[in-house]
Amino acid sequence: MPKKVLVVGGGTGGTIVANNLAHRLHDQLVKGEVEITVIDPSSLHIYQPAYLLIPFGIMHRNEAVRPERSLLAEKVRFRQESATKIDLANRAVYSDSTRLEYDYLVIATGAKPDYSQVPGLEKAGYDFYTLDNAYKLREALGRFKGGKLVTAVAGIPFKCPTAPIEFAFLVDSYFTRLGLRDKVQVSYVYPLPRPFTIPNVAEEVQRMMENRKIEVSLLFNVESVDPEKKEIRSLEGETVKYDLAVLTPPHTGADVVKKSGIADKGGWIPTDRYSLNVKGYDDAYAIGDGTDLPVSKAGSAADFEAAVVATNIWDDINGFAPTLRYDGKVMCFIITGIGEATMLLFDYEHPPKPPPATFACYWYKLVYNRLYWTVTAKGMLPGFGV
Amino acid sequence: MNEQEKVKVIDARGSFCPGPLMELIRAVKESSVGEIIEVWSSDTGSQRDIPKWAEKAGHEFLGVVHEQGYDRIRVKKKR
Repeated sequence: MPKKVLVVGGGTGGTIVANNLAHRLHDQLVKGEVEITVIDPSSLHIYQPAYLLIPFGIMHRNEAVRPERSLLAEKVRFRQESATKIDLANRAVYSDSTRLEYDYLVIATGAKPDYSQVPGLEKAGYDFYTLDNAYKLREALGRFKGGKLVTAVAGIPFKCPTAPIEFAFLVDSYFTRLGLRDKVQVSYVYPLPRPFTIPNVAEEVQRMMENRKIEVSLLFNVESVDPEKKEIRSLEGETVKYDLAVLTPPHTGADVVKKSGIADKGGWIPTDRYSLNVKGYDDAYAIGDGTDLPVSKAGSAADFEAAVVATNIWDDINGFAPTLRYDGKVMCFIITGIGEATMLLFDYEHPPKPPPATFACYWYKLVYNRLYWTVTAKGMLPGFGV
Repeated sequence: MNEQEKVKVIDARGSFCPGPLMELIRAVKESSVGEIIEVWSSDTGSQRDIPKWAEKAGHEFLGVVHEQGYDRIRVKKKR
């Protein structure tokens, strides 16, 4: 009987872990000693960092979407269907049409916006957390000729913690280039006492926002939005008025992990922060945005985690002790305007020390957006950086 | 802190910034005026962030008790 590796979710983490393993296990796949299967309801793979850049015309739909089958290594099986139940105790995953058994499971089911957590949120304004919404926002920004633009975080955690900061900086650049910056009041609204989770980065962000005349409102936890009065109300009792609102929605985990009784009350998968095992199961792993790990919900975290899990599964299949540990590594670009960016590199023990923003870093980010398809998603750098 | 009062305990140990603050905010939202919420946090940032939030939100910060490896931080819902 072949050893069966089952990956639930074909986003960044799931695709990388499957491809990374397929490269390492090529000969065993050819001989039929191992099977790798990815199950995902969508035939399309979306490069989600594009969502932030589409509203400003920096990226486009055709650079953000590829067929999932075209990304997966030839020997990886792809089932385009929804996983409906994960039975960890009996090593099986169900869909409407089948029951898939596994020897090794990787849950990479991600996070999704949950507009229902904030009354009025979905009708209130705009966001850049789906492809369609990124395009609606592009149209709205193009029409906006002046007034108060509020970008607010309406719930933590959410995908890509730096995105709201980057959005504010990009708005500043965008309207400056259009010669409209003096007519657009930009306001950044955030739930914490500082404009970012990590204190030393927050200090630098605050300084940059002050220099660019971006108004910062802190300790503002969005309770509701009134689209008719164009007001955002906070739990703390404050109200912010807007002409154009760009809101980061609260996020939650995938329905399948909730329905399977795996998720915590926030919808996240309890995950060992070093081994990446689903807590209590040494044959099941969780990677990417769906975990409860204290790291950014970001593609780079999923990439580093995928390399650890692929290495440990390979070790176990080949009779070695799986000893590689995830150290919490995350690498994030922060675009600080059109034509400039910096980078955060950090792990559980070492906070980031971002260098000054440069054009070179911005250029590298744009190049990376293309390398994602041919290098990162293909699992071409197995073990890189871990 | 008065140990005799009835409190709602939120165990956020092991959760990192801003997890404990977010857990507290969720608990306060679901509580009634006058209730006391006690957050257990192993993240040292909580004892800095939670009093700031309580003050801004108009709730009463009742204090911190340092335990082995974590803090017990109490807030009373005032409105």
